[in-house]
Amino acid sequence: MKTKGRGGTIADGSELLTCVLVATLSALLPATVSARTVKDQTSRMVNLPENPHRLVSLAPNITEIVYALGLGDELVGDTDNCDFPPQATSKPHVGTMVNPSLERIVALKPDLALGTPEANRRETADQLERLGIPVYGVTANTLEGTLASIEDLGKVLGRAAEATRLVAEMQARIDRIENRIKGQPEPKALFVVWYRPLITIGPHTFIADVIRAAGGVPIGENLKGEWPRLTLEELLPLDPDVILFPKTESFSPSLKEFRGLPGWKDLRAVKDGRMYFVSETIERSGPRLVDAMEELANILHPRQP
Amino acid sequence: MTVPATPRNVIMVSVTMFLLLTLVVLVSLTMGAVHLPLQAVWRALVSRGGNSEAAVIVLQIRLPRILLAIFVGAALSVAGTALQALLRNPLADPYVLGISSGAAVGAIFALWIGGRIAAASPLAAFAGAMITMVWVYLLGRSGGRLASYTLILAGVITASFLSAIILFMLTLLSTRDVRGIAFWLMGDLSVTPVAELRILAPAILLAIAGIYVLAKDLNVLLLGSEEAAHLGVNVARVELGVYILASLLTGIAVSTSGAIGYLGLLVPHLGRMLVGNDHRLLLPTAALGGAILLVLSDTLARTALAPSELPVGAVTAVAGAPVFIYLLRKTAG
Repeated sequence: MKTKGRGGTIADGSELLTCVLVATLSALLPATVSARTVKDQTSRMVNLPENPHRLVSLAPNITEIVYALGLGDELVGDTDNCDFPPQATSKPHVGTMVNPSLERIVALKPDLALGTPEANRRETADQLERLGIPVYGVTANTLEGTLASIEDLGKVLGRAAEATRLVAEMQARIDRIENRIKGQPEPKALFVVWYRPLITIGPHTFIADVIRAAGGVPIGENLKGEWPRLTLEELLPLDPDVILFPKTESFSPSLKEFRGLPGWKDLRAVKDGRMYFVSETIERSGPRLVDAMEELANILHPRQP
Repeated sequence: MTVPATPRNVIMVSVTMFLLLTLVVLVSLTMGAVHLPLQAVWRALVSRGGNSEAAVIVLQIRLPRILLAIFVGAALSVAGTALQALLRNPLADPYVLGISSGAAVGAIFALWIGGRIAAASPLAAFAGAMITMVWVYLLGRSGGRLASYTLILAGVITASFLSAIILFMLTLLSTRDVRGIAFWLMGDLSVTPVAELRILAPAILLAIAGIYVLAKDLNVLLLGSEEAAHLGVNVARVELGVYILASLLTGIAVSTSGAIGYLGLLVPHLGRMLVGNDHRLLLPTAALGGAILLVLSDTLARTALAPSELPVGAVTAVAGAPVFIYLLRKTAG
């Protein structure tokens, strides 16, 4: 970088000064945050930052896990649907799970985004990666999978100890529930996703697994797909002992109405009045899942007074 | 209004609309879910780099999306114009011949068998579109050439059939895949990587140029194919050329951003209201007009309910239907 100038000494001097300045600045600049490349739970390779401390959550269950691990302060953004814990609703929102605003996410300057293929599109994850924001994905199709996701996020976010403790607590509660209901006959449960037409859950879904863990048998082990449709004729021979409805805002009929609906009123479970609402947390793969499991176990196997 | 298609007029109209497009682009760059001061936007554009938040938002999120809207809008509008002339039917749009349904089947099929390779989807969609193009051609020709009547029938039947297949495949897909495809089916400009743009843009420009070369012949085709033949037009060749180029434009557009509706149907009509039926003037008007309208629709899609983003196909449908009704009343009354 020799500049042709007046007086070689001055040119060399400024060159030397530049070198010294650069060397000093490099020493003073913070060391580059080292990243490691890991495979996330969806088998994508992710460039994880060493110490992520600005997190964006793209799904409500992930938000719950982040708070449960004590990282609520590090959450800089979540979705419109993140409703628990209550503090999560006042975090800056980035939009819906399925089509969040990339601009809003970028403006929050996160160093890591957390998503799940159950709620988010792969295209969103790819796009965020292209914009320089790593995306770590978790996924679970079973109760055990939820515990594994919590452990995994704990490791990724530097809270492995908290995660192990949380998972141990959840496992202990699960064990207690299983011990209480052990040996009891398992009622056949129909989980109604929608009633007109009748849509229920497939045997290999998350909710089916929770029902099994709570000591029930999800109706229709031969049904195909995630949300199989059943006609009432097909339902009658399956003869569920218990009917479960999700307690969501969009599910408006009261349980009493089913006593009058054709087809439904002939079901033994309806005649016996064994219809129950189940909390929405039954499909949220997060820390409160054990609450849902417990609620379900109490429905399927009422405690003896 | 009919404007004579002198070269001078063609240039003047094109330049005016191009300037309008530039203005629309600049305004759109300043709008979005994150409020950026004008100064920051200007600086980001001028210095073309840097890692400031404004630069990332403007150059890596908004600009690629706007560019995509320009090319897809132009492609669909030119395809619609060309097909309306080819089929001599003002209701024709780029999807009436089943191209978008074919692309959708291709995309869903790619999801079904491979799933995780996002890049495969546009290629599979394009393949689906091209296979449909060949199939409808074979089905719809009569006497060795395209006859608009049989072609429309062949296209509509194929589109219906493919739609049924799409619904069937959707019931078999897992929920997460359905979610992704639903956005694609509604038309979505938000997730195309810039790299794809580098292939798209020249391809679309070439195809539009190809149709423009046939502009005078398109004018004559409107008189009817027999009359056109009498006037010396090689009808079979022109029809095949227009069919292939319009299908290519539609296939490219739909493969990347899904089935954005109403544009290909309405922009030709709006263009005709502005400049008349001469395709030498109508084609550039439609191309630039379609670009402007899609950029505006997309800007609305990403700002109307911010931070939620609407799929752009929803905006063109909600805006397009009233415009269509207005046009209908105006021409009927």
